[in-house]
Amino acid sequence: MTLSIFAQLVVSGALIGLVYALIAYGFQLTFATSKSINFGQGELVMVSAFFSLTLITVGLPYWLVIPCGLLFGAALGLFVERAAVRLALQQKSEGWILLTIILGLFFFSLAENIWGRDDRPFPTPISQTAIQILGVDVTPVELSVAVGVFAIMGLIEVFKRQTLVGKAFEAVSADPDAGELMGISATHTVMLSYALSGIVAALAGILVSPITTVGPTMASALILKAFSVAVVAGLESGFGVVIVGMFLGALEGVASFALGSGWREVPGLILLILALAVRPTGIFGKAIIRKV
Amino acid sequence: MWKRLLLIRGAELLMFAVLAAIPVAVQNSYALGLLTLLAIYGILLIGLDVTVGYLGQVNLAQAAFLGLGAYTAALCVTKLGSLMLVATLAAIVVCTILGALLALPSLRLEGPQFALATLSFTALTVIVLNELEWLTGGAQGLSLTRPPILGHALTAREFYWLCVALLALVWVAMRNLLASQWGRAFEALRDSPIATDAMGVGTYRHKVAAFALGSALGGLAGALYAFNFQYLQPQAFTYELTVILLLGVVLGGRKSLWGAFVGASLVALLPNLLSNRLLFEVISAAGFALALFAGIRGLFRKTLGPFQAIAPIVATGVLVFGGLLVSNTEDWRKAIFSLMLFSVVVGLPEGLMGFASKFLSRLFRIPEAPRPAPSPLDRALPARSVGKGGPMLELRDLKRYFGGVKAVDGVTTTVRAGEIHGLIGPNGSGKSTLVNVVSGLYTPTAGEMLLHGHPLPRGSLYKTAQDGVARTFQNLQLFTGMTAIENVMVALNGVYKRSRSLPLVLLGLGRVEEKRAEADALALLEFVGLGDQARTPAKDLTYGAQRFLEIARAIARKPEVLILDEPAAGLSHPDMHRQMELIERVHQRGVTILIIEHHMDVISELCDTVTVLDGGKLIAEGSPDEVKRHPKVVEAYLGEVDVGEKPAAPAAR
Repeated sequence: MTLSIFAQLVVSGALIGLVYALIAYGFQLTFATSKSINFGQGELVMVSAFFSLTLITVGLPYWLVIPCGLLFGAALGLFVERAAVRLALQQKSEGWILLTIILGLFFFSLAENIWGRDDRPFPTPISQTAIQILGVDVTPVELSVAVGVFAIMGLIEVFKRQTLVGKAFEAVSADPDAGELMGISATHTVMLSYALSGIVAALAGILVSPITTVGPTMASALILKAFSVAVVAGLESGFGVVIVGMFLGALEGVASFALGSGWREVPGLILLILALAVRPTGIFGKAIIRKV
Repeated sequence: MWKRLLLIRGAELLMFAVLAAIPVAVQNSYALGLLTLLAIYGILLIGLDVTVGYLGQVNLAQAAFLGLGAYTAALCVTKLGSLMLVATLAAIVVCTILGALLALPSLRLEGPQFALATLSFTALTVIVLNELEWLTGGAQGLSLTRPPILGHALTAREFYWLCVALLALVWVAMRNLLASQWGRAFEALRDSPIATDAMGVGTYRHKVAAFALGSALGGLAGALYAFNFQYLQPQAFTYELTVILLLGVVLGGRKSLWGAFVGASLVALLPNLLSNRLLFEVISAAGFALALFAGIRGLFRKTLGPFQAIAPIVATGVLVFGGLLVSNTEDWRKAIFSLMLFSVVVGLPEGLMGFASKFLSRLFRIPEAPRPAPSPLDRALPARSVGKGGPMLELRDLKRYFGGVKAVDGVTTTVRAGEIHGLIGPNGSGKSTLVNVVSGLYTPTAGEMLLHGHPLPRGSLYKTAQDGVARTFQNLQLFTGMTAIENVMVALNGVYKRSRSLPLVLLGLGRVEEKRAEADALALLEFVGLGDQARTPAKDLTYGAQRFLEIARAIARKPEVLILDEPAAGLSHPDMHRQMELIERVHQRGVTILIIEHHMDVISELCDTVTVLDGGKLIAEGSPDEVKRHPKVVEAYLGEVDVGEKPAAPAAR
């Protein structure tokens, strides 16, 4: 493997890795407020992408499709919270794991029957022809992934830090009971986090689809990698998922070249199991002290 | 008693008899194939229920173990020409080892992380099976012919009987296991891993054992799967199957062999039921009617919240009316399955069999299993003769820092044998940290801890408990899902000998010890005054009773040293008096007691010696009266009094 091929693999891998990071960021948002994550998040990404594709084929301009797709994602996120998460949180059980898996299965079946089982191309006005930057070929579509990911994560972080609602969000993350005593509704905050998580998932779908095509199977392929990123990085640090996402993406690119494309996911999965074994709270997560 | 045995065992016998008889009555190879699959899934789901039901963890690896078992058996047959028995054993061994290996890193994980670890294992397995083409044939698949058993080539019907016989065997073995100390340890782990360790049960080996056992059953089911289909493809064992298996367990009902069987029937038969339009409509309409009835009843009686009542109605309603719109129900298999599951998980959290068993036991008035007579107290808690006054527990310059916080900062003290030793101090003075270090929850930063002059284990609740130090918890750590008597039985020390060996338990040889354990536990419950509430789930006991149960559980360890962490916190006045009297009675049986307490009257009345901590340091030690007058103690509790300054005179009017 020459150096230039290596650099090429690393760069395109890292850019795709940003999509995994974005989906993992969606896990962090809901985990912060409710200690729960949506195991059907991959289906959210996929269904939102299909929905946006439909809007495009109907004739809506691309730049209008994006906000519609994001709104749709938010609605799906709210639906997941209401149907699968709220009850389990009230009962302080882990029933949400099962229920979000069940909803994911339902969305999958829905997508399969509405949009078919085949992978479909996702048209975009952004150019697909490669340009050379420092000797590495990059397409503007790939760059748009980076722009989109950083933009939405930046916006959400600013929202959390600068607005009153965002502060409430942080307060509930730190201590839901104390938040309730201060007059912040934990339920509303959890709803908000699921809506944001849905938006993030939808954007991930819209960003990645032009590169990978849209199909029902994209859900499970993406979610496994997003899980790896979330676990290795930990469920607390937004900065962490970006770093780990890019690293895993690059690793995957190199592995698929060196070992064959069938093996591309293996290093990531092994990394995930190792990370869980060595540091269950993730590289960027806080260690937990057991209390009794 | 006989009625109970007859009904429960009778139902099991009847089911297996019917299962075995069907192929004689119905000569249909398609039906036979389905029944075989049912028996195989039955074994698989019983294995899955060990982790999902008893350990309470979401395990997404069972499909992988089915696949690994199937491929191991198939490769043994095709590459090595093994016999059926050898290939099956190989499958079981491989899955047991891989299960234990996977359990090792997953040990510290709970909830979502455990689910993720097992999910990645499934993904990894499918990739490896797919990519190792030279061995497994990759996506092309792997064909094999069913090898003969004892020189006899099995017909499809005989193979089915073999599967049913194995299912029955697994059923009996698991029933033995789950009713034993092992099964209780699994459940204890689910409710409180910390208390499980503190009761000397060992979370580590039980978690690994549970997972390895479940995986071994996956391997057995896998081998049968391979012999049944005689053709394997990696794509059969993906995420999708693992989810469906998991949901099968939940749908049938967790912690129940019947539940696993019902779940297996649904998983095996459902695709075929759905292809029959009429049957689908009948099932969905029945589900809708049931949800409607149960939901409305629950709303009126206020036993269900609005969401729990309405959501299943909506889901089954979608099922019924969606079914009218859709032309081909088979295409919508997953959606239908998910709607049914959603209704069950929300509306019947205990699954179909959890609900049915409650209903049936009321219908047939099945009495509770009888209680044995309590054993004499001398057996459950033998009186110890202790040489009074000798050093029992010595702490030398013990330190525990959390980052920059010096929670315990160089404490040296001796707890003397046969004494009740008090530990007091203002909030945040390091009392709880100190006992957490001594009992092994935290590793000391520095210093020595000696019991009888021998060093105590450091940072291991389990080993410390094994060495004869038992403790209770300030914030109760009961096994909430278990009954009072089961809570005590988990901790019983010195009763179980044979039950330590897993194979003997599987063979049902632990029963005698079970009876004795029950009698001992009952004696201890009577000792603390909870004899008549032995069968009450711990979570339904009053707060005071829960505190007494914690003590009963701790003394079941027959400890030399008992650490009580604020045993009277939040107790009503009468309960507090009963408890002081109880502590005194425990003490009289020769147990040395170290007690943290805020109520000074409790300390004054009970303790021989009192140690006072402030800011992580020992500031005074002596008899309760000495300590009360000690100037440093007064200062720590009431603040500094400057002797030279007169109290401010009241302002003149």
